[in-house]
Amino acid sequence: MPLDTSTYSLALLRLDGRRWNELRRIHAQIGTQQAADGSSYLEMGNTKVLCTVTGPAEGRQSGQRGGKDNEAKVEVEIGFAGFSGLERRKRKSDKRTSEMQHTLSTAYSSLLLTHLYPHSTITITLHILSQDGSLLAACINASTLALIDAGIPMTDYLVSCTAASSATSSDSDNSDPLLDLNNLEEQELPFLTVGTLGRSDKVSVLICESRVRMERIESMLAVGIDGCKRMREILDGVVKESGKKFS
Amino acid sequence: MPITIRAPNLPTPHDALARAASPSDSEMSDDDLPSGTSGTSIVTPGETITSDPQWMRGHGTYIPPSTTTIVSTVAGHLHKTNKLLSVQALRARYTPEIGDLVVGRIVSVGTKKWSVDIAAPMLASLPLSAINLPGGILRRRTAVDELNIRTFFSEGDLLVAEVQSLHQDNTASLHTRSLKYGKLRNGMFTSLSGAGGGVLSRRGGVVRSKRQTFTLNTAAGEIDVVLGVNGYIFISAHATSPSNAAATAEDKDISITRLDEAVSETLYSSQNDEITPGVLREITRVSTLIKGLAAAGRRVDEDVIVRVYEGAVELEAEEKSLGITDKGVGAVGVVQAVLERLELGG
Repeated sequence: MPLDTSTYSLALLRLDGRRWNELRRIHAQIGTQQAADGSSYLEMGNTKVLCTVTGPAEGRQSGQRGGKDNEAKVEVEIGFAGFSGLERRKRKSDKRTSEMQHTLSTAYSSLLLTHLYPHSTITITLHILSQDGSLLAACINASTLALIDAGIPMTDYLVSCTAASSATSSDSDNSDPLLDLNNLEEQELPFLTVGTLGRSDKVSVLICESRVRMERIESMLAVGIDGCKRMREILDGVVKESGKKFS
Repeated sequence: MPITIRAPNLPTPHDALARAASPSDSEMSDDDLPSGTSGTSIVTPGETITSDPQWMRGHGTYIPPSTTTIVSTVAGHLHKTNKLLSVQALRARYTPEIGDLVVGRIVSVGTKKWSVDIAAPMLASLPLSAINLPGGILRRRTAVDELNIRTFFSEGDLLVAEVQSLHQDNTASLHTRSLKYGKLRNGMFTSLSGAGGGVLSRRGGVVRSKRQTFTLNTAAGEIDVVLGVNGYIFISAHATSPSNAAATAEDKDISITRLDEAVSETLYSSQNDEITPGVLREITRVSTLIKGLAAAGRRVDEDVIVRVYEGAVELEAEEKSLGITDKGVGAVGVVQAVLERLELGG
């Protein structure tokens, strides 16, 4: 079912009433589970993710000792709640899920100072409670918060959001890149997920699974990176707020 | 010429450094540092602490390649020790240090050693040669002991031990070669996740201190509290300690060899004694209060526990006499109510 996004050009308002450069409502909590080493809960609009971090701890298999020479191994597990999507489906091993796991694990392996915990394993477990677009971005943001809660040293925040190009092929001049997509926009428009390091412009994660004209990538990236910076301020606020109780 | 040590000069104030000054080392740092404003502010990962090259980087900080900027890597409080800048994370796993008193749980039994979970990044090892063997405190271990390794500690047993040495990859070796250490029983295990690992300047959780095992006097009887530096805590009914047992043994004119046997019989027993319901109740009360203290971000040590415990008992008695049944505030709520009362009362 193709979705009618042509109304955008009339009022410059998106389907959910946002302008092109607006993020959805973000609600984040840190330290939600007492028993975990680190935990967080993140809502980006209607995308809801619960993240727990275990470790650094001894790996599950005692024979296999952690990561490669003198570094901790980062493992990622993503679980979808049955009620998270529109239709209920049982998926055990999905290729998209395992790709997300791989993306997260490689991103965090280079971000975390893993050499401080030789031979150990850091496990990031994500539970997707509700899906409404920008899933990978929400997973990255939730993991960053949970890792900070776990006190695992990292060089900087890794924050992420999505950006799309709203242009139809006919009028490429009159196009706004859109920030932070919901599910309907994701199905309709070409989009990319970008993750940057803190305040800097350094891109650490960049995934684009749809076909998009080369010229549009630049504006999409620019909007995405700008969104990441705003995301960082929001997450930083959450961390600082949680630090207040240790005054 | 007399040598004088001068306090370090104040660098030009930079971002976080200007805002956060550590209260713990105030006598070490310059007096003109703006310390009053720093009470609640923390640094977060990626935040620039200073770009002045005169400071040295400590734990929780990082210098990006080809710069002189010191950047924080964890969310926590900034501490200055002379010229060393370090950031103590708000919550983190315990990092073992030699001499720490820890509470641990046996995870697996090997041929000559046990693997012990002490909430550190890696399991600690407890060699058979580092425990007190029964039947004479000082004797060599034999092949028979190796075969009977499960009679001393088996999987799931709790013990209190001391960190004897650290290996290259920060795994710890423990020992229990003192009558203070050994198997734990007659009590309740409590874990303060992420709140162990006490650098002295830490604000919440368990810290290294002089007395980490102490006895609490309650209405129902005495109870023992063992505060492991790793955030594992064991609260048990007061046992007559082995030295006391020895004292009573001497009274009964038992020979010195029999004494050893008497001690060793109880040393590795897994059988709990009979505990009265009143003591059980007080044990759970202390456990809940400790959890509440940790959740409220308070420091957990002997002084605080004794005060909060007494306050909580008083509070309960008062509520009972007034007939208040409105409960449901939880551990944190009780702790905060007690602390408020204590602060009001002086």
